[in-house]
Amino acid sequence: MQYRAILVEKDKSVLNDLANTLKQAKDFEVLSTYNNFNAALGQSSIYNPNLFLIDIDNVEVFKILPNFVEVFPNAVILGTLSVWNADLAYKAQKAGITGCIIKPFTPQEIIDTIKLYGKRGKSKPSRIITFFSPKGRSGRTTLAALLALDLAKKSNESVALIDADLQFGDLPIFFDLEPKHTVVDAAHDIKLLTPTAFAPYFHEVTKNLYLLSSPDRPEYAELVEAPNLVEVVRMAGHIFRYLLIDLPSGFNPISLAVSDFASTNFTVAMINTGLEVAHMKRTLDLFKARRGHMHIDYPVFTRVNPCNDEQKQKLESQIMQPITAIFPNEYNLVSIANSGRILYGLPQDTLMMKTISKLADDIIAGKL
Amino acid sequence: MAVENNNVKQSLSVAGGHSSIIMSIFSTSSGNGKTITAINLAASLAKEGYDVCLMDLDLQFGDVVDYLKLSPKYTIAEAQKDFETDPEEFDVRNYLTEYTHDDLHFSVMAPPKSIDDAYQIDVTVVEKMIQQLVDFDFIILDLQAVFSALNLAMLDISAIINYVGIIDFLPSVKNFKVGYDTLIRFEYEANKIRLIENRSNSQKLIKGDDVERLIGEKFSHKLPNDFQSVNKSVNSGVPLMFAAPNSPLTKSFAELAESYSQHQDNAPPPEEVVVQPDKSIFSKVMGMLGW
Repeated sequence: MQYRAILVEKDKSVLNDLANTLKQAKDFEVLSTYNNFNAALGQSSIYNPNLFLIDIDNVEVFKILPNFVEVFPNAVILGTLSVWNADLAYKAQKAGITGCIIKPFTPQEIIDTIKLYGKRGKSKPSRIITFFSPKGRSGRTTLAALLALDLAKKSNESVALIDADLQFGDLPIFFDLEPKHTVVDAAHDIKLLTPTAFAPYFHEVTKNLYLLSSPDRPEYAELVEAPNLVEVVRMAGHIFRYLLIDLPSGFNPISLAVSDFASTNFTVAMINTGLEVAHMKRTLDLFKARRGHMHIDYPVFTRVNPCNDEQKQKLESQIMQPITAIFPNEYNLVSIANSGRILYGLPQDTLMMKTISKLADDIIAGKL
Repeated sequence: MAVENNNVKQSLSVAGGHSSIIMSIFSTSSGNGKTITAINLAASLAKEGYDVCLMDLDLQFGDVVDYLKLSPKYTIAEAQKDFETDPEEFDVRNYLTEYTHDDLHFSVMAPPKSIDDAYQIDVTVVEKMIQQLVDFDFIILDLQAVFSALNLAMLDISAIINYVGIIDFLPSVKNFKVGYDTLIRFEYEANKIRLIENRSNSQKLIKGDDVERLIGEKFSHKLPNDFQSVNKSVNSGVPLMFAAPNSPLTKSFAELAESYSQHQDNAPPPEEVVVQPDKSIFSKVMGMLGW
């Protein structure tokens, strides 16, 4: 593919360097260079560009960035940053541009970045969804895995599962994988990474679905600091459109920091002795007290028997708020999911899979 | 001392220099039956005539109080606050809640009522509280399913670690093994760790024998599955011995308790555990990594 590029850069010497690099590359043609955003927006259309490289180090650009997206809907627009800055990169994503790249860059890095964002899906910020449970053995990981599979299939955009249950993460077993990189490596390296350098840390599970694995020893969990893990999530949001994050059970620095950062959280509890309903209520009360209105916590109960509306209403009256979904106990399905065979034919015609499917539809439609 | 024959106490009480027998109930996932085990083990030992204190150290979502339908006046949170205000005058016994049913009784240290308070609990204060609990023959610690600084400190002072697992699916097997291997890597003696399989006879695809081969250790006790009796026990708020006296699970808990009391007379005493000054998980990890 031949790239017909416009360079927009505040710093003139950087602009010259970037232009010279691209002029020597065979896949690139530099149509024009600007160090003024308005001039670039007003004049570029005469060149019919298909690639913009726009300096986003200065916040003033964000006023005009949506106009570039509107005027050049078919062009690739990359924001250029001197160093990775998650706040600026997120603003750029919100403005609707294709993605971000770090200066200086080689022509190959531009091609790799365009490819990465092409696979990602729509040029919109990612949906970050966490899965929390007060206690373990709640069906939390099964829900996260099944929902991720369904989202990958239906959305045709890229989906990542991040196993943040650092001591006892089960997702690698669910997918029968032994990935080379783990979330511990990612949190350790994150300050040195860019989206293109970070992408290989994720293991491709199936079409559109990737996994960032938990470590294989519980003590390595101690090496991950919550703020670094949040940075991992933020950068992963530039590689994937949907991020589904399986959290460790209970309240701890990791589960709180990551679920606070996410826009959506599912709290999962399994009905066992009945004491779990109190755990759910306690959890939701705490989340309500600490989170803003932009954050939504969805309660989900698993192994509900009988799994019907009446039972759902009964549970709703106990926790004093609507329940997003209830799941029955489906031993066969859970057996398959829990034995590394999740990719090979789940019984779709079950209440559990139908409920998952409905959740995925609602997430894609923006209803959840 | 409630029981005349105190050989057991002499043989098992050396851990951490404490005169009571401290036993922790630990697992790598919640929902494995830790609390059921802790309560029914405490009740069975109390029935044998021992003075028992059950501490619910699953600080965020501990179920002992709800299970036994207790209304504690004080919890470990108030105990810690008062200890910090006046350590000289502090007496941990004032913060215990008594559980009684018929002629059975044992003491309970309740977990904090709020999660914010749970977050504030200090490991060293908990250790000091336990040091004061010298009047009890047995101290049972119901722990959260995680390797945390508090849990490691509690495992350090325990004479016995009851390591409970339900082995039904691959993730449970993996976590059971990973947890056991971690305990061994953290240098807990294998003879201090008692593997307990819960719901040993329930419908499942994985056999206990296979798990034993994988881990390289035998289960020292197997608890049969009796979901109905457990539910009855939880709903009525009484230990299994009252809710379902004839259940095989009730008998199994009595046997487990016996294995730690009179039947242990000939068992070799565990080696004395010296409490390490720095027991944080971080220092252990650093040690593992050779730093």
